[in-house]
Parts: sequence; structure tokens; C-alpha cells
Amino acid sequence: MIISTTAFAWLIGIALVLTIATPIILLALLLRDWRKEELW
Amino acid sequence: MGIVNTVNTAILDPMLGWLILAGFSALWVALGWYWGRDSEQLDDYVLAGRRVGLALGTATVMATWVTSNTTMAAPQLALQMGIWGMIGYSLGSVGLFMFAPLARRIRRLMPGGYTSGDFVRLRYGNVAWRVFLLISLFYSLGWLVSMGMAGGILIHALTGIPYHYGMTVILSICVGYTLLGGLRAVIGTDFIQALLILAGAVIIAILAISEIGLETIHASVLEERPELLNLLMPASIMFLFNNLLFGVGEIFHSNVWWSRAFAFREGVGFKAYVLAGILWAPIPIVAGFIALATPALGLNVPAADMVGPMVAAKILGTTGAVLVLIMVFAALSSSLDSLLAATSILIVEDIYRRHLKPGASAAEMRAATARIILGLGILTWILCAPRPTTLAELLYFTGAFVASTIWPIAAGLFWRRANTAGAVTGMILGSAAGLYSYFAVGFYVAALVGAAVSMTCVIAATLLKPAQFNFADLQEVHPAELKSLRGPGGSA
Repeated sequence: MIISTTAFAWLIGIALVLTIATPIILLALLLRDWRKEELW
Repeated sequence: MGIVNTVNTAILDPMLGWLILAGFSALWVALGWYWGRDSEQLDDYVLAGRRVGLALGTATVMATWVTSNTTMAAPQLALQMGIWGMIGYSLGSVGLFMFAPLARRIRRLMPGGYTSGDFVRLRYGNVAWRVFLLISLFYSLGWLVSMGMAGGILIHALTGIPYHYGMTVILSICVGYTLLGGLRAVIGTDFIQALLILAGAVIIAILAISEIGLETIHASVLEERPELLNLLMPASIMFLFNNLLFGVGEIFHSNVWWSRAFAFREGVGFKAYVLAGILWAPIPIVAGFIALATPALGLNVPAADMVGPMVAAKILGTTGAVLVLIMVFAALSSSLDSLLAATSILIVEDIYRRHLKPGASAAEMRAATARIILGLGILTWILCAPRPTTLAELLYFTGAFVASTIWPIAAGLFWRRANTAGAVTGMILGSAAGLYSYFAVGFYVAALVGAAVSMTCVIAATLLKPAQFNFADLQEVHPAELKSLRGPGGSA
């Protein structure tokens, strides 16, 4: 059972979007923690 | 934890390699000193004050779980096992998800705890504790040696810098900033290292897609190596489950993850591990799929474990190779520093304090931790120096050992009736059976068999003779409070 071009593109696409979003999420959380004085 | 082959694939000028290593080394050491300047108290030094928030908590879990393997072996697995190789690798995140409820419970049951050894000792007694310590220290040392060697080999493969120099640099830098700043330095640098790893992986992936195109990549693989796109490749599916269990075993028992559960602020552990699992899962796919571009690029790969840097260098030239070196250096540092910090407190709390000096004060433990970090660095260097492939390969069959701890740990935390006999036989028989299957069948079943035998032992022993453990017994007196509890000149 071979993965189709579309499914392959979706798999890589979703993984890439999540990976791009990760630094943004981490920096937003860092800012939130810093404001709440809960960094560490 | 894979060790790459030595092949003549240096794709960067050694001088440029030295400059990059020097720049990042100076940054990590300076940050380690800055963040650790107020860490005089034991809890500040070994557990970052037990107040780590969600952002730093999530990033440190993610960065630590991204080893040099995620960036180097994920492409190799994609090249050897195709789609399931990448997905199987990304299932390493299941361990993080599964540890989330454990992290919450650990923090609640043991607000003053230090190590996973503390839990096993208090929950199951001394015999189980010592068996567990053997497994845990064996695994930690194996991982340290594997990372130290990977550092030397990867830096040599990427830049041509001799193995001993690269290995010495990576080890001394990690020892240096962990020694200066303790867990705060580890967690702080992990945040920056996570961003560097993510940025590198994203840039390389986007350029690979824009230069070649996903359709061309798919079509070329379909023409030259269609088995890599086959969703029913049996060896890959077996690998997928074994990798999943190996990951769960590594996370459940290792003090690297327990020390984070103790260090996180109340209410943070569960969220940090779940979020880290979600954010970590796509990284092996993004870092790995570029290996599938080799047919489209017409690239001849002499050693499968160097496919990632080779594709990056082919697409991006020197910039690609620089990005890979930065990613690899960040991935190695973020794992090595965590291991040094977590193993040192495991040795100090479970061997120094519990075996050698029962009355040790918090200050004495703080000083001992620093000495052990340095000692571990030196020991790792000595073991890595002769490039012992046999020692590095030891880590491959630690899968059997670590998987045998899954059930004793999980049942011990949540199941009042789980008993000592089940935990001890589970760890010993699970390890033995896993090890036997490793040699009799193959590496891909060791963790599977180890976990299954251990599960049977824990469940059977518990049903035969259920214990009635009181979870309140997991709370112990903090070392800083010991002095006030001691009589004049007496012991605690």
C-alpha cells in the first residue's frame, strides 16, 4: 500500500506547520510567564 | 542513540567549524555563569528552585528529548525504513505524553523529593531500589558515553576537526556551564537550543521543498525505491512499537525526567509534558523527510547516517552545513547537560547521602553535586577517548533494562496494592528476558519483551499478595531541615 502524493504532502505539510508554530508558541509562553513572574 | 560511522564527508572548513564551536561554547558558558550566580542553595542548584514555569519547562523537555539522533538518525531511518521510519521515530513523543500524569503525581506525592531513586526506595524498599539504581546508572553512563562519542564523531564528520578535539570540546563545555549554573543553566540554555534546533530544521525543510518540490520527491522515490513509501513494511511496523516502548522506558525511569517533575512549579508538570509531546512529534518528520530527496537530487550516500547533512549541504551549500552543525551542537548540548545534572544528583542523593554520608547537610550535598558533575565529565571523557564501539553499542540493549522499569514505576505511583516482589522480579526477569530476545531475535524486540515480562511479574505478584501502601510515606524530611531536627551533636 503506497502512500499517495497528496497524503505524503499533507503529512510533511502538517509536520512543518507545527514545527514553524513551535518557536512562536514557546516565545509567547515565555512572555506570559515573564509577565506573571513565573519564569522560574 | 546511534553512533554514526566515520566517513570522509567533511563538508565544512575546520576553521569555520572551530569558529562556530567557539562562539556557541562562549555563549553557553557565559549564560551558565549568569543564571547560576545565585544558585548557592541545594534546591536552587539541582532543581532550579522548584519553580520552573510552563515555557521553560516545555522547552527543556523538548530540547532534551531532541538528541543528536533526532537530527541525524531520523533522516537515516527515513532512508532505510521510509514513511514508517519517520513516523516511528516521532512516536518517541508517546513517552512524553504518558509521563505527563506521572509528573503531576510525582510533584504532588513527593514535593520535597530529589530523584527517581528516592521514589523506588520509599515505595518498594532497599532491594528494589538497588536493582533500580544499577539499571538507571548503567543507562545514564551508556547515554553519556554515546553522546560524548557522537559529539566527537559528528563534529569530525561535519568539519574534519579530529575526534578527540570535538569530543573534548562538547564534554568540557557542557560540564563547564552545568557546573557553573546547575539545573537553571541547563533549563535556560535548553530554551535557546530548542529554538536553534527548530529554526535549522525548518529552514532546511522549506528550502528542500522549494528547490525540489514534494511531488518530485514523491515521484523519484516511487520510481527508485518504492518500498520506502509502502505503508505495510513489516520491519518498520515492528520498529515502530519497539521504539515506542523503548522511549516510554527511558522516560519513566530516568532521573532526567523525574528531576524536571520535581523542578517544575506546582501545576506545570502535566501541561509541560503534554505540550512538549505535541511539539516534539513533528520534528523527526521535518528533520527526516529530506532524506527522501536523495533520489531526486541524484545523491550517492556512502553512509546512511550522514544523509541529513549531505542533503542539507547539497541544497544549501556551506549555509546548509553550518545550519546542521549548529543544530547538532545544540541537540548534543541540550541532552548532555541534562544527563550530567540529573545523574549527578542521582549519585549524590542515592549513593553519597543514602549510602556513604547519611547525615550530609544541604550545603555538603550542593558541594558534592558540583564535584560529581566534574567527575562524570572526566569519566565520560576517559570512556570515550579510545572510541569503544562495544561500549557505545551497550546502549542499544539498554532497551531491555529500561523497558522492564515501566511497570514497577507506573504501578508504584498509582496502584496502592503493587508490591515489592513484583517490582524486583519485574525488573530482574524483564531485563533478562529482554536481553535474551535481543540476542536470540533482534534489537527490535528487546524493549517489547522486557516490558511484557515485567508487566506479567508486577500484575501476578500484586494479585497473589497485594500490598497496602500508604502514599503519604513518600514524603521525607528535606536535607535543609535535617539540622534543625538533629539533637546537639546527634544524627537525624
